[in-house]
Amino acid sequence: MALSTIVSQRKQIKRKAPRGFLKRVFKRKKPQLRLEKSGDLLVRFHPFSGWEWGTGEVHLNCLLFVHRLAEESRTNACESKCRVINKEHVLAAAKVILKKSRG
Amino acid sequence: MADHNPDSDPTPRTLLRRVLDTADPRTPRRPRSARAGARRALLEMASSRRLSGQTRTIARGRSRGARSVGRSAHVQASGHLEEQTPRTLLKNILLTAPESSILMPESVVKPVPAPEVVQPSRRESSCGSLELQLPELEPPTTLAPGLLAPGRRKQRLRLSMFQQGVDQGLSLSQEPQGNADASSLTRSLNLTFATPLQPQSVQRPGLARRPPARRAVDVGAFLRDLRDTSLAPPNIVLEDTQPFSQPTVGSPDVYHSLPCMPHTGAEDAEQATGRKTQSSGPGLQNNSPGKPAQFLAGVAEEVDAFALSFLSTSSGVSGEDEIEPLHDGVEEAEKKMEKEASPESASSTPESLQARRHHQFLEPAPMPGAAVLSSEPAEPLLVRHPLRPRTTGPRPRQDPHKAGLSHYVKLFSFYAKMPMERKALEMVEKCLDKYFQHLCDDLEVFAAHAGRKTVKPEDLELLMRRQGLVTDQVSLHVLVERHLPLEYRQLLIPCAYGGNSVFPAQ
Repeated sequence: MALSTIVSQRKQIKRKAPRGFLKRVFKRKKPQLRLEKSGDLLVRFHPFSGWEWGTGEVHLNCLLFVHRLAEESRTNACESKCRVINKEHVLAAAKVILKKSRG
Repeated sequence: MADHNPDSDPTPRTLLRRVLDTADPRTPRRPRSARAGARRALLEMASSRRLSGQTRTIARGRSRGARSVGRSAHVQASGHLEEQTPRTLLKNILLTAPESSILMPESVVKPVPAPEVVQPSRRESSCGSLELQLPELEPPTTLAPGLLAPGRRKQRLRLSMFQQGVDQGLSLSQEPQGNADASSLTRSLNLTFATPLQPQSVQRPGLARRPPARRAVDVGAFLRDLRDTSLAPPNIVLEDTQPFSQPTVGSPDVYHSLPCMPHTGAEDAEQATGRKTQSSGPGLQNNSPGKPAQFLAGVAEEVDAFALSFLSTSSGVSGEDEIEPLHDGVEEAEKKMEKEASPESASSTPESLQARRHHQFLEPAPMPGAAVLSSEPAEPLLVRHPLRPRTTGPRPRQDPHKAGLSHYVKLFSFYAKMPMERKALEMVEKCLDKYFQHLCDDLEVFAAHAGRKTVKPEDLELLMRRQGLVTDQVSLHVLVERHLPLEYRQLLIPCAYGGNSVFPAQ
């Protein structure tokens, strides 16, 4: 699995996409839709054939959303000169980013 | 045997031709062999001369060799035609010239009686090519007196013999001329044929390859360390209670034992994320005394802690995430509370499967205090505490949802790089919920717009473009490369492989 290699043990982040979670969420919300599994499986020696395909891009989207949210809330916190991110910072950031991510 | 009158000035060619004619009819090269033989002899002479340490030019060596060859041939031809010595000598020449024939001289050597060997050597003090063979007989006999074995064996053994020969030859090469000189020449001749692989290693033992000095892993010490670290807290925990059979009875004891544990847990709480199995237990305990009002929560946590400690001793290593042992511990607690069973290690595998279900029960644990940076919000779970012993109600629905969300919440805290409050993390969860909702709606719209019922990657690309993540400057592949691990990159970005194939296919 692709674990991050950050030295600090506190910040050990799983880089694997929670495929089951994403599929479940999607199913629950839109049971009539399907998430595509990308294309044909090449009969090649591919060491990562166990991982998912279709949810990779959704995961990327979520990652980017979270990233933007974190950046925005961090900016808010720095602006108010707090050393800790507060609820209000996050709230304000969320408003902005959700608006942006409406599509 | 042909009769040749020796010429007044014998050239090496004529002499050798004579010798060859008198010698073994087996030699394949006849008219031309004289020249070849002469060259060979000359080369041998030159090389042996070189090897013996005398730096002479090849021309000089050749000239000398020619002269000596002539002399020796002359002498040989005149002296020993009847005794067939030249034949054997020439046989030796021919056989020793190629490298593979190292063996042959020995086999040929043996039958040759010693006095014959001695005589020519005496006569030809100056080196002739023929003479080379004669003293050559000596070292094999001296070096390998017992070697009557078949040829192949001899070949392997010969190397070591050559080694010795080389040593002797090198030591002897400094001696004055004469027989020793001749023998040294022959021994140095041996050098030309024996590839000096071993001599080098023998003479310079420092160059020999040593096996890499690898320290064997002290597995015993490692396991001991593991046990020591894991045993310390659980020992304290296990003394006081009988968790499995009577959870209700055990709870007051559990509560009394509460004050003891935070002391041990306090130090470990800081390293809770580091040590996966054992410290997360004390981490739980550390947080519980912060809110004595939540007795039930404390009880649950204690049981969790016991379960966890049991697990840590029994099952050892947890899953990848530090939350997993907490999950297991929580699940242990659940099972004990409800089924009064003692799952222990037997359930460790189903625990990992159901680990996510009990995510919610983790959340009361770190709620008070801020020792452990975890992301579970507290409020929704306070409600559930009285429910927990009785119902299994909304558990399967919410837990995996929360578990998945927590993954992204952790990512959020990672990206933010700043300490965060608990409430802020709850906020993040709500945002994520809303975001997923929006995401699904958008994808549905896009797929419907394309007349499909399946969401394809193109829809996602369109969504990202509308979100402003993908622009004309920044393409999707760039984002994939930036944010996803390598394995995903390989899956998402089409790449050309060998055999005229592209993966993933477009």
